[in-house]
Amino acid sequence: MLLRLREARFLARGAPVGPVNLALADGERAARVYGEAREASIVALMAAGIVKANAGSVLIDEYDPRVQPVHCKRVVAFVPHDPLPLDLAGFENYIRYRAALWGIDRAGAWAHARLLLERLEGVHEAFAYPLAGALISSPKLLVLDRPQPAYAERILAAAGARAVFSTHTAEGAAQRFGARPRTALLGVVPT
Amino acid sequence: MTFGALLAIAATRLHAERRTIAYAVVAAIVVAFVQPSGLAAPLFFCGLLGVAVAMTQGPGRHRHLDLCEESAPLFGRELARAKALAPCAVAALVCLAYWGAQSLAGFPASPLAFALALAAVVACTLVALSATIRSGPARLLYLALACATSAIAFALAFYLHSPIAEVLFCCVVSLVALRQYGEALARYDPV
Repeated sequence: MLLRLREARFLARGAPVGPVNLALADGERAARVYGEAREASIVALMAAGIVKANAGSVLIDEYDPRVQPVHCKRVVAFVPHDPLPLDLAGFENYIRYRAALWGIDRAGAWAHARLLLERLEGVHEAFAYPLAGALISSPKLLVLDRPQPAYAERILAAAGARAVFSTHTAEGAAQRFGARPRTALLGVVPT
Repeated sequence: MTFGALLAIAATRLHAERRTIAYAVVAAIVVAFVQPSGLAAPLFFCGLLGVAVAMTQGPGRHRHLDLCEESAPLFGRELARAKALAPCAVAALVCLAYWGAQSLAGFPASPLAFALALAAVVACTLVALSATIRSGPARLLYLALACATSAIAFALAFYLHSPIAEVLFCCVVSLVALRQYGEALARYDPV
């Protein structure tokens, strides 16, 4: 199992979040709807191993983010809800920055990012750059915090066959990032 | 952590805070022309600027950078070193600007005075960094400790006439503060 949340709760600062239960295998997709933006954001951050659950367990590729956070972060790519502030830097600088953080070859990362940006044609730069930046490390799992439903098709095309977990605050948005069971990937019709 | 990641984080943080850095350097130059002699003014004023720059590294100001760094496969202590490099570089720049302005004003300070001020300002800045990820009384305590660091460093250099003791004190405080910041970052939840 690539991502497993079992009775995961976040209890610090503000209203408690959870319990969250989820199991996601390689190549599967899951989209969850939450009542509040804060809740959706915290669940996405827990699934990415950035925020640690105060109770219950979170396992990312069988690693516990409380014990092996670096291993978890090599497996997951996290894309925040907020758009990238475009005054931060140009696309090339941004990709160079992300490549340095993940210890990836700069030339390879740039070529990969250009390819991803082509797949994300039509997506506003402020949303396309963070997604391309997240995918250059070739993660097994992509975690999206309240992604823009209008770009669902493009985002999922860029994500390819990897597992995707997204959190939302509207049912319609979640449906656009809808579930894809592993059986569908293998060409087996689920019964 | 690669040297490239360290530089990328520091350079991106410096770029994001370029206006603050410009204001800090201008402020140091102006104050140096007003009070060009003595050790107290550069040590305390540059220390204050160091605290201000350290506080700009706090969460929320550059949320996208914070999330990129926290989702990168880096340990807390590695991230702490990289995040501390930017305010320390600014602290050094501010001290250098003050020192240069002193010379232009006709009161050139010795290289020893510059070194003493720099050591105290860097130590003060590193202590203040721990305040950025705390709130309430804990934040006030760290800010008070940063001010106390400047005061003790000045007392050692000016009243006890012991520059070696001042530099040693500042080195020890800097190392402990950096380690403390790393430990706190490793446990920090960006919610």
